[in-house]
Amino acid sequence: MANLALDMITTSAILFVVASGLMIILGVMKLINFAHGAFLTLGGYAAYLTTEAGLSPWLAPLLAGAVGFGVGIVVERVIVRPLYHRPLDAILATWGLGIIIGQLITIGFGREVQFAASPMTGTLDLGGIEYSAYRLTLTAVALAIGGALTALLYLTRFGLNARAVIMNETLARGLGIDSARVRLLTFGLGAGLACGAGALITPLLSVDPNMGLPWLVNSFMLVLVSGVSIPSLALASLILGSAQVAVSSYISPIIGGLTIVVLAAVLLRLYPKGLGRGT
Amino acid sequence: MARDTSEAAPGSSVTRRVRRTVLIGAAVAAVVVATAPFQLDIYTKNILIRAFFLAALAMTVDVLWGYTGILTFGQSAFFGIGAYACALVATHYGFGPFWFAGSFLLALLAAVAVAWLIGWLAFYHGASPLYASIVTLALPIVLVQLIFAGGRFTGSSSGISAFPTYYWAFETWFWIAGGYLIAVTALGYLLVSSDFGRLLVAIRENEERCAYLGIPVSRIKILLMMAAGAIGAGAGFGYAAFTNVVAPELGGFLLGTELLIFTALGGRGTLIGPVLGTIGIDVTASYLSGSLPFLWKLITGVAFVVVIVLLPQGLIPILGKGLRRLWPFPRAAARDAVVLRGFEPTTPHGETRSAPLRTADLLRHYGSLKVLDGIAIESRGSELLSIVGPNGAGKTTLMRCISDGGERSGGEVYVNGTEIGRGSPQSVVALGIGRSFQNTNLFETLTVGECLMLARWRIDGASLFSRRNEVALPTPALGILEATGLDKALGTETRNLSHGQKRGLELAMVLATEPSVLLLDEPTAGLTKAERTAIGSVLTSLARVHGLSILLIEHDLDFVRDISDRIVVLHQGALLMEGTVEEVIASDLVKAVYSGQAVETAS
Amino acid sequence: MTLRPLSIAAVVAALAAAPAIAADTIKIGIPVGLSGANSVVAPSVVQSSEYAAKEINDAGGILGMKVELVVADDNSGAQGAQRAFESLVYEEKVNVLISMETSAARNAGLPIVNRGRTPYIYTSFYEGRSCSPWMYVNAWVPEQQVAPIVDHFMAEYGAKTFFLVGSDYAFGRGMLEFTRSYVEANGGTVLGEEYLPMDGSDWTAIISQLKASGADALITSTAGGAPNVTLTKQLRAAGVDMPYGNLAVDEGTAKSMGADATGIYIAASYVTGIDSAENKAFLEGMTATFGDDLITPNDLSVPQYEAIYAYKAAVEAAGSTDPQAVIDALDDVSVTGPRGTITMDAQRHAPLTMYLGQVQADGSVKVIQSFENVDPGDQCPQFAG
Repeated sequence: MANLALDMITTSAILFVVASGLMIILGVMKLINFAHGAFLTLGGYAAYLTTEAGLSPWLAPLLAGAVGFGVGIVVERVIVRPLYHRPLDAILATWGLGIIIGQLITIGFGREVQFAASPMTGTLDLGGIEYSAYRLTLTAVALAIGGALTALLYLTRFGLNARAVIMNETLARGLGIDSARVRLLTFGLGAGLACGAGALITPLLSVDPNMGLPWLVNSFMLVLVSGVSIPSLALASLILGSAQVAVSSYISPIIGGLTIVVLAAVLLRLYPKGLGRGT
Repeated sequence: MARDTSEAAPGSSVTRRVRRTVLIGAAVAAVVVATAPFQLDIYTKNILIRAFFLAALAMTVDVLWGYTGILTFGQSAFFGIGAYACALVATHYGFGPFWFAGSFLLALLAAVAVAWLIGWLAFYHGASPLYASIVTLALPIVLVQLIFAGGRFTGSSSGISAFPTYYWAFETWFWIAGGYLIAVTALGYLLVSSDFGRLLVAIRENEERCAYLGIPVSRIKILLMMAAGAIGAGAGFGYAAFTNVVAPELGGFLLGTELLIFTALGGRGTLIGPVLGTIGIDVTASYLSGSLPFLWKLITGVAFVVVIVLLPQGLIPILGKGLRRLWPFPRAAARDAVVLRGFEPTTPHGETRSAPLRTADLLRHYGSLKVLDGIAIESRGSELLSIVGPNGAGKTTLMRCISDGGERSGGEVYVNGTEIGRGSPQSVVALGIGRSFQNTNLFETLTVGECLMLARWRIDGASLFSRRNEVALPTPALGILEATGLDKALGTETRNLSHGQKRGLELAMVLATEPSVLLLDEPTAGLTKAERTAIGSVLTSLARVHGLSILLIEHDLDFVRDISDRIVVLHQGALLMEGTVEEVIASDLVKAVYSGQAVETAS
Repeated sequence: MTLRPLSIAAVVAALAAAPAIAADTIKIGIPVGLSGANSVVAPSVVQSSEYAAKEINDAGGILGMKVELVVADDNSGAQGAQRAFESLVYEEKVNVLISMETSAARNAGLPIVNRGRTPYIYTSFYEGRSCSPWMYVNAWVPEQQVAPIVDHFMAEYGAKTFFLVGSDYAFGRGMLEFTRSYVEANGGTVLGEEYLPMDGSDWTAIISQLKASGADALITSTAGGAPNVTLTKQLRAAGVDMPYGNLAVDEGTAKSMGADATGIYIAASYVTGIDSAENKAFLEGMTATFGDDLITPNDLSVPQYEAIYAYKAAVEAAGSTDPQAVIDALDDVSVTGPRGTITMDAQRHAPLTMYLGQVQADGSVKVIQSFENVDPGDQCPQFAG
């Protein structure tokens, strides 16, 4: 039972880490970044290259985040900016971008699985329960990311501007906020978070050109269910992540794999605006 | 009498022209398909047969996405359903003409049932377009998972192959696939060129406004999804029967996104573009992807992004433009000016019936913020009731709560004696409400005539495969068109109208739905003095002569004073005062509210 | 029926499709997953094919005809395989198809092979029971691979209870279904049989169940590549250290997985360490031919190499490349190659010598035991005898 609870908590934490970049972009820019999966993959390869270069695996998420930020800035300028008023087209264009990133990685590294060194291995003893040390660490990292994002949004100038754009972009522009700059930085931040997340989950996964894809749909569902706020994303991750673990444990892991998708579709039918905003 | 508008002549000149185009196009395509097998080698024939089935599927994606604005990732699922129906029946149950036809029928039925479920989930009133995309995204994911979990029965990841099927000659299959593609494309072309096709475009451009014209948007989308699903399943069935193979990827999410790529590259909203695009890309892929396995996918990805960002209309229309210079032929959306015909609407018998509109204890709150608090108003027939109040008093919210059953938090709304319940806007419209909006976002690419036809949809319907050239309008609507000069501009796209004309068209469209209660949200905003006077006299005559009950939101108090019978004053979500024009004008309370002094609300 | 003209057309089509018999080269079609999931192993298969062709041509070809390889990408899936097979059968008019492919690609190709009447030798291990009058298989099926591992666990570790984990696809399910029946037939019990979708990467719930079950041994059969790696990593992170047999890992992957793979048991019909003159000559020849570009030969590339020789033997026995004659001859000919002497006479499949290996700390695979001529069992009874 305690093990099940730990599974639920750590799975939710991983989902939160993976989806946070997508949420930031959706919140500020009102568009879905379908290249999110490719950014996760990019993060995995950044981790691989980091450890290949002999650097500490602990550095990998930070370097991946920096790479993601840089790529995000370029992508925003070139692809996303012309599509602000065509949100459905933005989904398609970012999906196309995902294909491009995936193919470039395949051409560069091949389809095979790459191995990045893990920062830690083995289990921790939690009062009689042996549990994966890295999953526990990830939970702490998730809390730290949630805290850092909250601080960024509520304690900084950028956060203030971003919140203003989230609430009412026209008004924000009227107040002299450079919303184009806010969008640029937001996309960079979102892409950076996605790449960082890709590096963070690498020790549990394999690095290959498709590693991010299965996470895309789940993140997408989570973000839509949660709406745009950090606590509600945490809540949605906890609900859907726990449901996935419960269904996998008690019914079947195959149905478990569908839990988030199906449950999210149903939840959204019942609460069209998501959990974060009441009806 | 109003319901007795005779069907317009079936063969308008547009209809005739479209039909001729389709006939010629289909005939040319049929000749090509009939003779091509004798010119082509077996390999090319094989590729084309498969491409034809995929192109039929891409055609449905274009109708859903290009025309109606439903971004679907899941059309591949219907292809998969058709394919697996063919394979599963032949593998596990039986094979022969009877089984073959039966499994085809089963494929269509299963697809229609699934499409209905998806439509029911995705297209409820107020659903965001994104939600529909999510549901269509979930569909292939769930389907593929089910196929995988089906073990021996579905063949899991390996799929099923070499089941009994008709090993007809490649020529025969070529004709079947080509014939299917030509038939469904012709059908699709007739559909999108018809009145109904304009309706699909209207839904894409402004779904909410369609609902407020009494058009059952959700039902139309669901039916469209079902038809598209059936066509997709038919194509999938043919694909499986020909190739003798089914695999989960035929119903997968990746094929769903590939279809979007084909459609975008070919040119969305052109129907022919996606069909030719699919065939072109699939054939090229067959010759190139073998030699450039990774590069090919990279090239498609880059082309897709470039087209979406820079050429949203796709590649085929660009080729088409060049072609059209050489040989002008009519476009899919060929337009003729329509002819207007006026008729006298029936007059609601306001005196003898219950109040046309009555609200009781109407509540609307967002969380703890009360926007409307216990509003009780009653309108009478042949009366012009104005609602005034400062910004944020809840005027527009009140109109929204009256015209959409899903909006209010509590209380009742009775329209002609019937409580609206939780009904959608179009069901409220059916009870007799007509609502105009503050902003003038009409259907940008539709002409004035098409907008009017749209407004008559609830009463006159729209034909699926032809276009009318006559619109019957109640005389008040006609009057407004004449007053604003719109009757001379029926072929103009609405984005090219002046602001005053847009307002006039807006009002004429609402009147065309023959409401007994008219809700008008600032109908004179931004108009000139002369236009305002014209609108004012139309409104008075609607109330006095035609017996309508009119609720009017206005900021211009002079205008209100000139035309109103009664006035209701809202303040901070509560009913501050109700009375005759004189009473309200004389009230100190109202003066205080308007001059911005802090006032204790009357309740 | 008024289909007469069509039937004539069909005959014409069939004639056009028949391989050119009187050509002075023999074309061998190799549809293979150069892109997609199989792109990791495909290059090694292409390499061993090239090596076989080179050897044969250097020695004078087959019946005096040169061998020419035509490689086509099948994108590791059904749609790509249709394109690849059609192009090879109808456009290239190859004499034979020899390839390692995914089951979905093989199944997609079979109807084309049947219509085009082209002999086809399938060289990848798979879940079994795929039958076609035009196909032979020279790689292993569950009946041959599972027994060595289960027997060893029962004998060496006294394992009575097993837990099975797989990817939800035909190979994963086919292998574990057979494993379950084999374990039960030998007096053991299966405490759990769990699957994750093929693209799934979160094994948390399954690992927790595995730990809670208290099973003596674990046998896994995931999709190759990513799922195999994620499962192994997560098993190790969760501290699982029971005897672990992996039905889907090959030498190369085990080596690159590093410490996580140590101790894993595998069973294969080919490992590089086979101590025979043929294997040594093969490895030396490959190294000499490809030098630094050599991709380590493996349990997929070696059957491919041997299958080309099997086709050579069949053509020589039949005296021509006539498809039907070659198909008839393939049943009788045997080839002695790196894996030993192999004849595809068991219902179109081949009895094989299987090797049980264990991954060592340095990543190498140590052969623990070998099992001579393990029979594939009932695969295609319609072709018995």
